[in-house]
Amino acid sequence: MMLSPIEVALIRALESGIEYSLENAAETSGISKDAVLKAAHLLREKGLADVITKSERRYYLTEEGKEYLEKGLPEERLYEVVKKGENEIDKLKEKFGREFGIALGWLRKKGLAEVDGKFIKLKKEGKFEEREVLEKVKRGESVPEKFLKELLKRKLISFDEKKEIFVKIVKKPETELKEVVRDLTPELLASGAWRGKEFLKYDVRIPSKVVYAAKFHPYERIVRECRKIFLEMGFTEIKGNFVQSSFWNFDALFQPQDHPARDMQDTFYLDDYVELDEEYVEKVSKTHLNGWETGSTGWGGEWSLETAKKLVLRTHTTAITIHYLAKNPEPPVKAFCIDRVYRRESIDATHLPEFDQLEGVVLDRDVGFRHLLGLLKEFFLKMGFEEVRFRPGYFPYTEPSVEPEVFVEGLGWIELGGAGVFRKEVTEPLGIKGKVLAWGLGMGRLAMLRLGMKDLRHLYQPDIGWLRDIPAIMR
Amino acid sequence: MPVITLYWDELERMVGASREKILERLPMLGCDIERVEEDYVDVEFFPNRPDLYSVEGVARALKGFLDIEPGLKEYSVKDADWKLEVKESVLAVRPRIVACVVRNIEITDEVIRSLMQIQEDLHWTIGRNRRKMAIGVHDLSKVYFPLRYEGVPADFSFVPLDFDEVMTVREILSKHPKGVEYAFILEGKDRFPMIIDSKDEAISFPPVINAEKTRVTENTTDLFIDVTGFDENVDKALNILAAMFHDRGGEIQRVEIVYPNRIERTPNLEPKEFAVKKKEVYGLLGFELDDGEIIRALERMRFGAEVSGDGFKVKIPAYRADIMHSWDIIEDIAIGFGYDKIEPLYPPTNTVGLTHPWFETRDLLREIMLGLDFLEVITFTLTNERVQYEAMNRNASPWKDFVPLQHPLTADHTILRTSILPSLLEVLALNRHHPMPQRIFEVGDVVVGKHNRLKVSAVITHSKANFSEIRSVVQALMKELALEWEAEESSDKVFIEGRAADVVVKGIVVGSFGEIHPEVLERFELTNPVAAFELDVSMLFDTGELI
Repeated sequence: MMLSPIEVALIRALESGIEYSLENAAETSGISKDAVLKAAHLLREKGLADVITKSERRYYLTEEGKEYLEKGLPEERLYEVVKKGENEIDKLKEKFGREFGIALGWLRKKGLAEVDGKFIKLKKEGKFEEREVLEKVKRGESVPEKFLKELLKRKLISFDEKKEIFVKIVKKPETELKEVVRDLTPELLASGAWRGKEFLKYDVRIPSKVVYAAKFHPYERIVRECRKIFLEMGFTEIKGNFVQSSFWNFDALFQPQDHPARDMQDTFYLDDYVELDEEYVEKVSKTHLNGWETGSTGWGGEWSLETAKKLVLRTHTTAITIHYLAKNPEPPVKAFCIDRVYRRESIDATHLPEFDQLEGVVLDRDVGFRHLLGLLKEFFLKMGFEEVRFRPGYFPYTEPSVEPEVFVEGLGWIELGGAGVFRKEVTEPLGIKGKVLAWGLGMGRLAMLRLGMKDLRHLYQPDIGWLRDIPAIMR
Repeated sequence: MPVITLYWDELERMVGASREKILERLPMLGCDIERVEEDYVDVEFFPNRPDLYSVEGVARALKGFLDIEPGLKEYSVKDADWKLEVKESVLAVRPRIVACVVRNIEITDEVIRSLMQIQEDLHWTIGRNRRKMAIGVHDLSKVYFPLRYEGVPADFSFVPLDFDEVMTVREILSKHPKGVEYAFILEGKDRFPMIIDSKDEAISFPPVINAEKTRVTENTTDLFIDVTGFDENVDKALNILAAMFHDRGGEIQRVEIVYPNRIERTPNLEPKEFAVKKKEVYGLLGFELDDGEIIRALERMRFGAEVSGDGFKVKIPAYRADIMHSWDIIEDIAIGFGYDKIEPLYPPTNTVGLTHPWFETRDLLREIMLGLDFLEVITFTLTNERVQYEAMNRNASPWKDFVPLQHPLTADHTILRTSILPSLLEVLALNRHHPMPQRIFEVGDVVVGKHNRLKVSAVITHSKANFSEIRSVVQALMKELALEWEAEESSDKVFIEGRAADVVVKGIVVGSFGEIHPEVLERFELTNPVAAFELDVSMLFDTGELI
């Protein structure tokens, strides 16, 4: 049998069969009262000790009890008066006031009197022991149980209860007591004193103190997953500044300068301008005006260099991908970008002024719309969406455009991002040779799907409780 | 994007198909179904297809798409003797006008409903809130020809729609609800566009308001439509309206527009011709289709098409405002063929994947910080000077240090951050109720000048958080990065004096750490000590080329 040092100390110190109060046991064994109690409980579980709780009641008179002890109980007093012949109820009521009801009640209950019309009639000789009992209680003498109950009920007496714990060793273990090792210490290891000893066994079912893992933000896990997919598919990762010219954010993507998306309402503009590469500017501006050599009619109207030079917080990562393609115009190119973009929108559960976008582009000569669908299918499959379907879509800089939808159990078909082939009005003025298949999606929407989030604000205004609770493993 | 309400009884009748069939196929034509009700369906159409902003337009497209009536629809325009003269005085204000007359149209509630909807949506989309294009619809019987379109002074007066008294242009722009709404378009002008009839009475003050006298009522049987603006957008809008009334059984009549130097006759509902090469079609689609298949697809999209040489001669209906390039037609071939019939194929493009140093560096730092027992957070890069500098006892100036937004939406977001640490203190403030200790970090972007930089920052908070605790972290981090460094006393007032250190690498300060000053803690309403550090990673490593 394995006993801890305190158990051993206690069982050795106390004689079996004797009830020790806690104080007594502590004094005898030389260990603290708390330790005695703990050891006694442990020993009780092993059937070696009893822990006995005794409670002692000390009775005392209530204010009412004291009054009755002095004056006599109401029924006793009423009895005496009626016995003297004063038996008219109305008069008695006047004399006894509020006690009359109590007094009469008890006389009737004890079978000593009854009401006869307007009078009280005594039935037999009365005997009132309560006063003696009250006297005994006052003196602290023992009193028969039935009286105590009755007086307690009548609230003439009350009591204090005092609990005391006693420890009794029921039996001592037959085998020799071994001291068990509680904490394995360097000293025990050095001396080898642990040898031949047993180790205290713990209750392995009891949970320990809560600690939290340091870990990635769950949303960053999704970003990492997407990044991994792109890299596995042979894409080059690119990165660009948040501050961009309107030229790369809009004009290079054939967004007309009066397009509503370019409104101050929707875009964060900065009060500064940047110089642009003239070669690009000339061809892009001509394309806007009359289509240049792209075979397009262009937008007509006017095109302002000043408007193109104005700085913005990029509204999409396409500002970066298109600039990268302009710098790397020879196929084959595959590039991706997962990064922050900005929209001038009020914050609510599904709209944020800044969020992350994912975008992939493929530049090659002999690829077309069909290959874009193939890319999307593969990408979404790697993301765990096994069913994908395609609907026509519209984006100002792609033609054809497509809105992919994925099937999510319990939600049905969910639109997830947009895709298309960059228009010739986009690629040709920048000297990009071949066709550009492009797709993108808002990471927030993905996070909502994957993390079951209802409110996107929680991503960027993190609740540490949520971060600690959400498991690292993803569904 | 415009959301169009289509009533089932009307749509089913006009298309000749059941709502189930329509609901199934409509999304494959290019739109988002917003809501489906017993009486109607709300559909969001794309901004490139303003011809679909009416039930007439949708019915026309669906009849082709569902093979009920494929191919080009002919639109006839009758000659008549309607004349409108454009005066020199209006050319500097709103130079272009087109018009048409519609005869024998029954103005039912349905027609009124559809007309009001498309007018509003065209004003928003093609019209850019009436700036580029505005439409006026009049009861022809109240309009006395010939008309003139001229620039009038601000004291010119007439009775505007919904009013019963004469108002001057000036009064309309300051008092009439529509005048107030659209005054911005005419700001700074001393002449105002006005269409005046032969009785010298105004019928329209584009782009603001019509005259009350030509109001369209249920007794109206003939319409005069004017569209004003600057360029071919007015023709696009007029053609869409003319086609719509033609579909309703109206007769479209031409109006002669006499400019000082030329004469135009509008509307012109003749289809335009566009040549599309087969090679171009196959190339963009990524697969070959036989000629018949391509022609059928085009006809489903209501183009006229025939084989011509090495390609197709495609007739574009006049109401299609979006065809700028042969690729726009090829997209319609794909839609007409059916996106659901195209077999996806993974592209043969063979490349090797490559990471960017920025994200590689970021990942390395994140790995180290996780190993040092910090929880990752992400925060906004938009912030404000109060949080970034004032609360931090720091100073900075716009452009040199930080990027200010020109038109912030809220006082919380007025600049891009240059430091991550204030964002972390804000996170701690939001999380005071969670158990201590709290150790969080972020590796992310800040923008200094106009360029992104990579920074890492971490904070520790609990009742005994102190300098030596954060110094241990910085020591470990710098060791993992194999960087020789020194700590020097820092004057950064965000920390308690004497408990603040600069991280110096090769004589250059690359960051700082210390115990956050209680003054700063108070401003962030933090009730436990905080020890923190921040490093400018871009100063330590080559984080690669940024576009």
